[in-house]
Amino acid sequence: MLELHQVHKTYATPQGPLRVLDGVDLSLGAGESLALMGESGSGKSTLLHLAAGLDLPDTGEVRLAGRAISALGEPDRARLRRETVGLVFQQFHLVPSLSVLDNLRLQARLAGVEDPAWSAALIRRLGLAGMERRYPEQLSGGQQQRLAIGRALAPRPALLLADEPTGNLDEATAGEVLELLLELVRQTGATLLMVTHSPRVAAPLDRCLMLSRGRLAPRDASRNDTGANA
Amino acid sequence: MATLLATLLSHYRRHPGQLVMLLLGLWVASALWSGVQAINASARDSYARAEALFSTDLDRLERRDGEALTRDNYLALRLSGVPVSPLLEGTLEAADGTRLTVIGIDPLTLPGSSIFAIAGGTAATGTGDFTDFLTPPWQTQLAPDSLAALGVAPREAQGATPLLADGQRLPPLILAPALPPDTLVMDIAAAALLLAGSGQIASGEQITRLVAAPGALAEAPAGFALTRAEALASPGQLTESFHLNLTALALLSLVVGLFIVQAALGLALEQRLGMLRTLRALGVSGRALVAALALELALLGLIGALAGIAGGVWLARVLLPDVAATLGSLYGAGVGAELRLPWHYWAGGLAVTLGGLLLAGSGVLWRASRLSVLGLGQARAWRAGFHRQLTAMAAGGGVAALAGLALAAWLASQPPGEGLVAGFALVGAMLMASALWLPPLLGLALAGLTHLARRRPLAQWALADLQLQLPRLSLATMALLIALSANLGVSSMVGGFRLTFLEWLDQRLAAELYLRPPAEQFEAIDAWLAEQPEVAERLATARSDAQLLAVEPGGGEADTAVQRPVSVYGITPGATLTPRWPLAATQGSRETAWEAFGRGDIFINEQLAVAEGIGPGDRLRLSSPRGEITLAVAAVYPDYGNPRGQVLMATPYLTERFAAPPGSLGIALAPGADAAALSARLLDAFDLPRDSLIDQDGVKRIATEIFERTFTITRALNALTLGVAALALLASLLAQASERRRRLAPLWALGVPRARLAHLQLAQLGGTALAVGLVAVPLGLAITWGLVAVINVAAFGWRLPLHFFPGEILLTLATAVGVALIAAALPVLRLWRTPPRALLAEEAA
Repeated sequence: MLELHQVHKTYATPQGPLRVLDGVDLSLGAGESLALMGESGSGKSTLLHLAAGLDLPDTGEVRLAGRAISALGEPDRARLRRETVGLVFQQFHLVPSLSVLDNLRLQARLAGVEDPAWSAALIRRLGLAGMERRYPEQLSGGQQQRLAIGRALAPRPALLLADEPTGNLDEATAGEVLELLLELVRQTGATLLMVTHSPRVAAPLDRCLMLSRGRLAPRDASRNDTGANA
Repeated sequence: MATLLATLLSHYRRHPGQLVMLLLGLWVASALWSGVQAINASARDSYARAEALFSTDLDRLERRDGEALTRDNYLALRLSGVPVSPLLEGTLEAADGTRLTVIGIDPLTLPGSSIFAIAGGTAATGTGDFTDFLTPPWQTQLAPDSLAALGVAPREAQGATPLLADGQRLPPLILAPALPPDTLVMDIAAAALLLAGSGQIASGEQITRLVAAPGALAEAPAGFALTRAEALASPGQLTESFHLNLTALALLSLVVGLFIVQAALGLALEQRLGMLRTLRALGVSGRALVAALALELALLGLIGALAGIAGGVWLARVLLPDVAATLGSLYGAGVGAELRLPWHYWAGGLAVTLGGLLLAGSGVLWRASRLSVLGLGQARAWRAGFHRQLTAMAAGGGVAALAGLALAAWLASQPPGEGLVAGFALVGAMLMASALWLPPLLGLALAGLTHLARRRPLAQWALADLQLQLPRLSLATMALLIALSANLGVSSMVGGFRLTFLEWLDQRLAAELYLRPPAEQFEAIDAWLAEQPEVAERLATARSDAQLLAVEPGGGEADTAVQRPVSVYGITPGATLTPRWPLAATQGSRETAWEAFGRGDIFINEQLAVAEGIGPGDRLRLSSPRGEITLAVAAVYPDYGNPRGQVLMATPYLTERFAAPPGSLGIALAPGADAAALSARLLDAFDLPRDSLIDQDGVKRIATEIFERTFTITRALNALTLGVAALALLASLLAQASERRRRLAPLWALGVPRARLAHLQLAQLGGTALAVGLVAVPLGLAITWGLVAVINVAAFGWRLPLHFFPGEILLTLATAVGVALIAAALPVLRLWRTPPRALLAEEAA
């Protein structure tokens, strides 16, 4: 589903070039789930952006659903993202001027694959029934993130990319949201790549990789650190 | 695309104020522009109809002895094979008091391509019978917009015979849309009956003029003067500068309105950066996003433009009567009081508004398209653009200033009276340069002041905070600057004009009473007046027309051949008139000039002097009934409001040289004389109609009324433009009100009372507006100079003295501060009403 081969990415900073990814190789099969951990600034979000086609690598190749994204123009990358990828952000990024229901259906509508029955089921499963006409600002943080997850899964994407999806939530809410996320991923059969700081969040996933100094390595199982935002 | 567009538009559902501001900006910009264009289009339609009428495209014959033409003259000319046609013109009063021009024609002999030449009116209407037009009860041809004055409904118009104010009935009506407004055309016999019935002509023998096809006569028949059609200025030519003036003002309003639009668009986009980023992340391509934004723009533009055109038509309906009166009194151009709008008016209105919107929105779209998907959500990336924008503005201002300098240099190299469009462009360049330089200047000033106020924390905070507001306030301050300076410029020009005009009127109107006696009674009345002890002096006038053939410069250079129609006006120099008559330039002293005038030299008006580069000492060769005559120019005099070149000479000389009939008679009274008693005796003795005698106050009142009406529309447009600028400022402040409250919350938490915070806000905006006002004052005065010294000279041919009015300057500053305080009042009131805890809650949000 997702393959990264010898991906390099460098940013220009006032202090000089900053190498964020230094020859990253990654392969993620259909239905697999992977947690990506690493310190702040280690390049996790950059890797996620490259996987979504939001950014392009300096060198190397990113293949999404069998297509090399560097070979695609911006409109084609946008279409691939629209039809294949669901994105969940730490800051939710809901559209404040759309109602709960409209937010939920937004990506599915954009992709032209809206399924009203599935949307209704999602609303119920997300615990947002009766709140369809509310606006995001009228929801709690946990409800907003559940809605963001619902929006990402409404078009039944093949790949779900989640960037610290519980990073903005308290511990209890984070647990609920994570449980919901994993359940829905299993139900839809989506591949999941999740960026997180928290080993507890990473634990239920099939695999866990550490990003450090621009390279990926299997997480050392002997480490027993706990994330603050689990 | 529909989902995308609906998502983008959903922003306005949550921020209806922004939508209102955007549509209001578009509406106002479009309404003012469309209103003026509707007035221009209607006026041009009237001119076109007037020009299509026979009288403007035909050569004219008049008697050289100045006597009125008669039917015998016509018959004699026709019998000798001269292809002329008679016209009889007069005015009749409709039942509602409207004065209608009656033109009697002989369709059998009327030449050329005029609308009646082909079939005596059937061509104009496509209906009716040629015989019906020629034989009793005849027909009255008129345009549909003349029906209202006659109290006839359009449906009942065909064949109606409405009553006139004097009780006479018009021949049956036939509609002819091609005719000018308030003009009735009929067979010459029918016109003669009506005009004789109303007492305007003594008998059906009289005709007003003889016309011939252009070029049909190689030379004037003996005893007649020939005026070629091309020498007659058409109303369209005469009023061109008036309409250009209106168009320039409307363009100013459009620009100010578009500033609001751009401010609203920028704000709407800035607030939707997060939404744009999310949409991009959800798979919407950058191109699709920009296309959707452009579509949104077009949709809003269409709504705004249609509303604007509707508003413009309403505005034009309100202003058109004043404009029609102005054009009628200034230029003698008949303009219908009803709007007649051609299809291209509607298309043009839409195109200009949508084009303006595209111009205003293109910057926003361009910036949006350049931001990367990952940078879209970062307001900082968006704002960083503002610093680049300031640099670009400073550079743009420099280019506009250079263009202004180049235009000024070019204008200086042109002969006086040239370069009307360049004059407007110069004023436009001055406005643009100043507006573009304003935000960078304000930024620099604020940075300097923030540094100076470092020992006063609250003042330092206020100044630093103002710097942060600058990106959003800059467009509104630019709009305010343009509106204020244009307002000051135009009001100073109008004020100066009024002062000069009234002073000039005082000087020119030396006599206490003015009489227009019938020609046959002139001598008897003059003799009677000479015997009255109350009369100190009789000031006889006369007028004629001539062709200026050549200018012989006083310096001995070669003659310059010209072909220019001029009016010739006779005055009576004497103790009453000579000391008061204003002179703009003389060769020697005033006394020498008047002595020369008394010997037969001439004065010319400033219009003629500017147009042909004539000065005192030059000599003019003029056509006259006695052949070519050469006369020396002794002085140039100001002649405000006259669109034509004029030659002035003593009345006896004019009568002798041009065989002119007597004109009006000014009656200067002896000190202490009873004007009313003399008037009554005079009217009684000669059985004169009451309106043939008018006192000085009456003339002044009429002239002043004309003057005031002339500038009614100018003042209205100016006030509206200032209103639009105030709206722009209010909209900008309201748009950032909630963000401002969040910034103020920490200060409240630190112990600054809410009243102090409210005062701080008022001081911030009042100070900014004052700074804008201070820039607007020199700019406004520069605009006054441009209007007076460049545009006025090019448009009208005369230059006004430059007047500065300290009161207007103070009013400009007060208006600037007042506008800002009014605009700031609502956000401040909201702040005042917000409970302190809520301020912190907003901050937390």
